[in-house]
Amino acid sequence: MSHLELVRRIPRSMYGMLSEKLMDALLEAKGGDNVPSSLAKTILYYWQRDQLDSEAGVANLLHAAELADPARTGAVLDELGLEEIRLAMRLVEP
Amino acid sequence: MIGFGIEFVPMDLYWRTTYYSIQAERLGYDNIWITDHFNNRNVYVSLSAIANYTERIKIGPGVTNPYLVHPVMTAQSVASLNEVAPGRVVCGIGAGDRTTLDMVGVEMKSPLRTVREAVEVIRRQIAREKEGYEGSVFRTSPGARFNFRMQGRIPIYVGAQGPRMLQLAGAIGDGALINASHPEDVREAVSYIRRGAEEAGRQMDEIDVTAYTSFSIAEDEKSARKAVVPVVAYIVAGSPPSVLEKHDISPKVADRIRGDLAERRWGEAFGAVDSGMIDVFAVSGTPDQCVEKIDGLFETGITQFVTGSPLGPNVRFSIALFGREVFPHFKEPA
Repeated sequence: MSHLELVRRIPRSMYGMLSEKLMDALLEAKGGDNVPSSLAKTILYYWQRDQLDSEAGVANLLHAAELADPARTGAVLDELGLEEIRLAMRLVEP
Repeated sequence: MIGFGIEFVPMDLYWRTTYYSIQAERLGYDNIWITDHFNNRNVYVSLSAIANYTERIKIGPGVTNPYLVHPVMTAQSVASLNEVAPGRVVCGIGAGDRTTLDMVGVEMKSPLRTVREAVEVIRRQIAREKEGYEGSVFRTSPGARFNFRMQGRIPIYVGAQGPRMLQLAGAIGDGALINASHPEDVREAVSYIRRGAEEAGRQMDEIDVTAYTSFSIAEDEKSARKAVVPVVAYIVAGSPPSVLEKHDISPKVADRIRGDLAERRWGEAFGAVDSGMIDVFAVSGTPDQCVEKIDGLFETGITQFVTGSPLGPNVRFSIALFGREVFPHFKEPA
C-alpha cells in the first residue's frame, strides 16, 4: 500500500483540515531533517500551486510528517477520528 | 508607494524557509531578506531555493558583509541569482556584526570606507566595466570581470545603524536598511539618510528607506512580546552605551545580559529583558497594536517596513495573521 492509496480512504471533506494540521506538525517537528530533500521539494511544488489539500498533496504531507514526527502524526490522525488510517499506515511500503 | 519586506534567518531547514517565503509572497509581501551569517545556512543557497518556488517577490541578502565575502564574490552571487529570478534580485550589504567577525578572527577595519568601496566594486562588476578598480581596501585588475553578461540591474541597499553609515547609505544606496524599531530612532536615522542624500545631490525618492525591525505578532499581546524577548536580549547586549542611555537602559543591566548570553545562561539573560526594552527594540503585539506602530514608523519617512525575526510565537501562523489583519490597513489584497 502507498500513502496515496491510504489517503484515498479519507473523506475528501477532511483533506483541508488534515493538510493544515500535518503541515503544522511538519514545520514544528524536531525530526524535520528526516524528510528527504526530494519529498520536501514535492511538498513545496504542491504548496506553490496551493494544492497541499489535494489527494497527492495530503499523501506527501502524510509521508513527510510520519518521517519527521511519527507520534504527532498519529495524534493528528486520532484527533480527526482517523484511527483506522493510523493503524493502516503500518502497511505502507517504504 | 510603500512596501513590506520579511526577513528570514536560515537557521532552519531550507524547505521550511522556502515554505514561509511562498506564503509571504502569496500574502502580498514585496521583499524577502535572508540574513548572512557564517554559522547559519548559506544565504545564496537559501535564496536560490526561494527563487525557484516564487514568481514575483524581490529577494536578496539582508545583509551580507564585505569582510567575510569579497565584493567580487557578492557581485557574482547576486548576478547569478538574477538569472534564476530575473529582475527580482536586490543586494543588502553592511559592515556586519563585530561579535560574529571576532569569532573568526576578522577585524572590522574602516567600516565606512570598506562598505563604500564594496558597493563600488559590486556595481562595476555587474556592469562588466573594463577598467580595474584601485581603492584603499579593494583592488581589481582590468581583466577581473565576469565571463557572463547580466541583464538588468540590481539595487544595492546599505545596512546602517550609526550616523555616518546612515549618511553613506543616503549618499550611495539604492536603498537604506535601518537597523531599528523605535520611531524616535528611525526618525533620526531617516534624517541622517536625508543629509547624506542631499550632500550627494540626490533626492530622497531615489532611495528605498527601509526599517528593518525585530517583529512579533500574535492574537494576544503577551505571546507576541514573549516571543521577541530573546532577540531583544541580543540587541540590548550589542547596543552601544549611547543608544542605551538614550532609552534610559542601564549599561550595568546590558552588561549583565551580555555576560549571561556569553555564558549561555539563557534564563538569566532573557529574564533581565523588561517591557521598556521590548518597546524600544521591537515592534510587537496584537494586529491592532502592530498596525498602530507600523503607521507611526511610516510617518517617519520610511518607504519599506521589514518584519524581522522572530515574527511571532509560531512563524506560519504569524505570517498568516499579518497578511490577514495588518496588510489590509496599508495595501490592496494580493
